[in-house]
Amino acid sequence: MNNNINTTNFVACPQCDALYDKPHLKQGQLAKCHRCGSTLIERKVDSINRSFYWSLAGLIFMLPAILLPIMGVTLAGQFHQASLFDCILVLIDRGFFMIACLVFLFAIAVPIVRLSGALYLSYCFKFNRLKPSLLSFFRAYHHLDHWAMLNVFMLGIVVSMYKLIDDTELSVNLGLMAFIFWLICSTMSAAALDQDYIWDKLERYFSNKGVR
Amino acid sequence: MKTAKQLGLTVCPKCHKLNNLDKEPQHCSRCQGKFYQRKRNSLQYTLAWNLAALIAFIPANFYPIMIVYQLGIGSEATILSGIGELIDHGLYPIAIIIFTASIIVPLFKITGLFVLVYKAHTGVRLKPDKNSKFYHVLSLLGPWSMLDVFVVALMVTVVELGFVTSVAAGAAINYFTITVIFTMFAANSFDPRLLWDKKLGNKNSMTQVPLLSEKSFRNEG
Repeated sequence: MNNNINTTNFVACPQCDALYDKPHLKQGQLAKCHRCGSTLIERKVDSINRSFYWSLAGLIFMLPAILLPIMGVTLAGQFHQASLFDCILVLIDRGFFMIACLVFLFAIAVPIVRLSGALYLSYCFKFNRLKPSLLSFFRAYHHLDHWAMLNVFMLGIVVSMYKLIDDTELSVNLGLMAFIFWLICSTMSAAALDQDYIWDKLERYFSNKGVR
Repeated sequence: MKTAKQLGLTVCPKCHKLNNLDKEPQHCSRCQGKFYQRKRNSLQYTLAWNLAALIAFIPANFYPIMIVYQLGIGSEATILSGIGELIDHGLYPIAIIIFTASIIVPLFKITGLFVLVYKAHTGVRLKPDKNSKFYHVLSLLGPWSMLDVFVVALMVTVVELGFVTSVAAGAAINYFTITVIFTMFAANSFDPRLLWDKKLGNKNSMTQVPLLSEKSFRNEG
């Protein structure tokens, strides 16, 4: 095999391994693979600013979304309401450790880590403070790609409200609104982050400086 | 169309940087991560996770998933009987959503991955373009089966009125989460590029056979 191809001029589809010349895209354009139809490279519009502000907003909404009660129930004269954080405390209290761990991981920890990761990355890019550690940081960020389940949790809230609305008097609290905003912000910040641009820029920056 | 593998190149799965393949595991020149040209033992891992998920899916359906205590008397409900209750109450949309998320999606995912592994291994009726799209759908569906777990967790938390009414989670919830997480692992360890490799391999072997026989024929003549 000849191993002296200049790899900067080509891209390969990560889904099907087809090789293409590297396309030069403007902001807002995306290149798709001919063979399997998956996205090769996407240049997102104003990626760094947008992901910075979305993740900042997401982190602001994070605390009320977790701590404020999401919904309350009135049944036989008793009122009880619960927030996302109560949810975990109650689950631990009643001995359901596994679901407590899972709810904590997928609905609290992973979204927070992803949001703060996106914020840190876009902060470093926005104010031009690139460090070599960003390389491994961004690589680690990709590990969490599949594991944020805020949207599923949102559907879970809707379904359980639907279930409860029949037999009980249901009240919706401010926490639900904060949670919805949190969900929107974290989805948008993940969608706005332009991975190809960040990797390209990191690579060029560190190869020019000769820092490894 | 050339693939990166034919030219001795590999794509980093994390940063999508093209690397010249020196030795496996390859050290990515951009993100410094280590990776293999194809996911290692991808089909075996997928099969194993899938089988484990299927096994865990059996107790998930037989044990009760939610126990509702009213005035101290508990009534248990499995996933299917819970859906039956919802239909009895006339809550059809929710019944459909829960049925889709907790029965159809896991089964669809498990069987779908079995079919994909079978096709990638044997090359029978292999249509890589359609199959890789199918794989994409499967991997997107994955997290949505966690819905039932979250619903039970919320019910346990919100409906907690002491002696009057309270909800407890049953044993099935653990098995069910195991099923969902294992199917996600299975989908992550499958490598759709193997489908294309197999197709190319099939095509090459088919075109090479007549060429070789022609040559040997000529040589004999």
